[in-house]
Amino acid sequence: MKRRAWLFSAAGAAGGLLVGWGLLPARSRLGSAAHPWTAGAVADLTGVVFNGWIKIRADGGVVLAMPRSEMGQGVHTALAMLVAEELDVPLARVSLEQAGADAIYGNVAMLVGSLPFHPLEVDDYAAEGAPRVRPTKVRLGEWMVGKLARELGINATGASSSVADAWEVLRTAAATARASLLGAASLDWKLPVDELSVSKGVISHPSGPSAHYGELAKFAAATPPGEVMLKSRRDWSLIGRQAPRPDLPAKVNGTAVFGLDVRRPGMLYAAVRLSPMLGGSAGAIHTEVALAAPGVERLVRLPAYAGSTAGFAVVGKTWWQAQQAALAVPVDWQQRPAGGLDSGAIGKALQAALDHEAGSTFYEKGDVDKAEAAASRKVEALYSAPYLAHATLEPMNCTAQLKDGKVWLWAPTQVPQMAVAVAARVARVAPEDVHITVTLLGGGFGRRLEVDCVAQAVRVALECGGRPVQLIWSREEDTTHDFYRPMQRARLSASLDAAGKVGSLRIRSAGDAITPRWLERNLPALAAPVETPDKSAAEGLFDLPYGFASQKMSHVATRSGVPVGYWRSVGHSHNAFFSESFMDELALDAKQDPLAFRRSLLEEAPRHLAVLDLAAAKAGWGTALPAGRARGLALHESFGTIVAQVVEVSLQGGAPRVHRVVCAVDCGTVIHPGIVAQQMEGSVVFALSAALYGRIDIEDGVVRQKNFPQYAMLGLAQAPVVETYLVPSERVPSGAGEPGVPPLAPALANALFSLTGKRLRSLPLSLNEA
Amino acid sequence: MELQINGRLVQADADPGMPLLWLLRDVLNMTGTKFGCGVAACGACTVRIDGQAARSCAVPVSAVLGKRIQTIEALGTPDKPHALQLAWIAEQVPQCGYCQSGMLMAAAALLEANPRPTDADIDAAMTNICRCGTYQRIRVAIKRAAGMAPGAGAKKAKA
Repeated sequence: MKRRAWLFSAAGAAGGLLVGWGLLPARSRLGSAAHPWTAGAVADLTGVVFNGWIKIRADGGVVLAMPRSEMGQGVHTALAMLVAEELDVPLARVSLEQAGADAIYGNVAMLVGSLPFHPLEVDDYAAEGAPRVRPTKVRLGEWMVGKLARELGINATGASSSVADAWEVLRTAAATARASLLGAASLDWKLPVDELSVSKGVISHPSGPSAHYGELAKFAAATPPGEVMLKSRRDWSLIGRQAPRPDLPAKVNGTAVFGLDVRRPGMLYAAVRLSPMLGGSAGAIHTEVALAAPGVERLVRLPAYAGSTAGFAVVGKTWWQAQQAALAVPVDWQQRPAGGLDSGAIGKALQAALDHEAGSTFYEKGDVDKAEAAASRKVEALYSAPYLAHATLEPMNCTAQLKDGKVWLWAPTQVPQMAVAVAARVARVAPEDVHITVTLLGGGFGRRLEVDCVAQAVRVALECGGRPVQLIWSREEDTTHDFYRPMQRARLSASLDAAGKVGSLRIRSAGDAITPRWLERNLPALAAPVETPDKSAAEGLFDLPYGFASQKMSHVATRSGVPVGYWRSVGHSHNAFFSESFMDELALDAKQDPLAFRRSLLEEAPRHLAVLDLAAAKAGWGTALPAGRARGLALHESFGTIVAQVVEVSLQGGAPRVHRVVCAVDCGTVIHPGIVAQQMEGSVVFALSAALYGRIDIEDGVVRQKNFPQYAMLGLAQAPVVETYLVPSERVPSGAGEPGVPPLAPALANALFSLTGKRLRSLPLSLNEA
Repeated sequence: MELQINGRLVQADADPGMPLLWLLRDVLNMTGTKFGCGVAACGACTVRIDGQAARSCAVPVSAVLGKRIQTIEALGTPDKPHALQLAWIAEQVPQCGYCQSGMLMAAAALLEANPRPTDADIDAAMTNICRCGTYQRIRVAIKRAAGMAPGAGAKKAKA
């Protein structure tokens, strides 16, 4: 039986199990777990299948069906740890096989997490272990989206959701297999199951009998698991501990396979040149110039598709030859009919939208109008953030082959199903006739939630007579044809009473909607026929933890025409800059210390308070620093994880130099503390690059920044020391890949204010422009 | 033409103007060396030429004839990994891993020239880009491979 088959075999059983998922949500996603014996135990060549997630090999090794993409965030390690824990095997005994397309592999947590509820509404601030009080609209919303998510089964790696999504499902899948294995041993040895013990994948009885999982697997797959119990926390030997990441050895000897490293017999390479004008098109293309170049086989026109701008690809024997030829081709590029996009003009339009449009209200509490009418004065500030590119170090690429009516894809993607769907549409085959291999991703950051270059690779492969072709974008194409983080502007306004106390907070922001555009190009069946509010642009402004008596937050969703997408931590990435910088402005106005001011407003949010206090304590908040250094702090929750950061900054040659960043994190139960630390370190560097240098400017439709010298990145010499401290928690885990990004920019801006007295309200932070 | 790659003589048929990176990747199918920017700005393509770290996307094949080329594939062997590779694992450096071949080759060139580098030496030698932000672990791992304590070499001036 082929590898895919054992995964697909889960589909039928899973379909029958959809009824009743509300009671047993984790079990509903086990695949054939409930009936492996009635459906016939599936023994493929490499092992025995227990359910849609777990297979046991003859040597006792455990195989985990892995639906999520590894882009550095450690998901392949973290999910394998959940399985190793419940099956009592060493982490090194868990190997991975790519999961198939079944709905059980969909990311339910990601969709449920996209609901625009304030954390107070979902009672997220309730004390640990206390019953959570959730209003009907929240329970109904989560139920409906959860059901939809299970039906759709959208397999995506994003929104820092993988561990939260896998938490119950994978442990249940592994524990179910373990229970069947124990049951099989008990039946085989005619010994009571509660007298058996498991260690490192070997089941034994004190009287002598002993067998490893592989020896019992065939019998066990036909043995009902009986009552399945998850391990209690005190029995964990792996979760919460450091474990070496199994993916690292291949990443230090050059054998790790990223998208660009796929090699197939007879493979050709394609270089891409898209209209330099976003949304533009190509008139006459001097194809003959390309074809005359050495090593070149053909030129293929690429229409605008899946969100991309139109252009062409040149196919050659090596990518360099194809690229040289592509660059040499004279092309009559055409501007888009609506005229060239211009980021300066878009900024002005956003300001007008902010000034004149009400937008969609995401949160309202108390009576802001009344508080403002009664106020003695106001504190108001205008903030802005630029377009940003993702700049994954591995440029966009995809390898495709069309052969015998089938499409074969090798892609570094965060959304394999969407890659399959777009390939099927372009090649005019059924999705079942598209086979995808998801490679390692050389960075994702949300850019690989798009499938524009998958469509291009398939379109080129259609012209290559059955030969595989690897389509690669140059860095210049990658920087100038991204789905950018949208430009945003926000006005924050607080009304104060005679005593100087903040009575209300009003926030209005404006910027391009992200999710509606993403749905249109990737999941058109789910796209709304009318313009809808966009939670992903408002997140991080409507869901603040601070207890102002009256609050109102609205977002004006615009549509500039610039391709926009999800950028690591999405709306939070700029909204935390707006809100947490403004919190320091309010603290200054109140003549209070920024820490004390925030603490006074966190009565309803004890988790936030604990995180803030931990960061402040570890950073030595309030203690003396060497001359010329200052601290700043920020606190922000995103994707269910709360992070506080304290930044220490000085000026070197007039430019900010960050020396140290202390991170305190509450991400619920920690699976792997070392990976959380890695993600904090990485998030700080990612966010610092953006805060100091990040901006994409568009003139006449052309992105001005082309490559790394212009779109600058923080280097090792400028990298701060990052320290990570975890708040102990027994809550359900939440993600770590993105929540370290949002607090960095405001913490740095606040530190720079402390150092220089200059309040920087636009990104990237520039002391010269202040 | 004949090239000397990882201690072996290799025959390759390529345009002499082709950058070494693409000869390695697309002609010889040695994919450990990565493409990041094409303009010698990111260092993902770093290899060693006669021991020196070099950004192979900007070095034409014609310039390396008769020179010793070392790539990540020959930094260590499965049986005998390089001290830097062991240190990279011990410090759990990589995240996505895409830049790490280049980082390791740059670090290997540094340690060969300067077996006990200061922080300033590391700053000066390690100019490759890591989008995942593994820099602080790279610094500690280089020191570990050099047999130094994590905090050693902190003085700005060379000893």
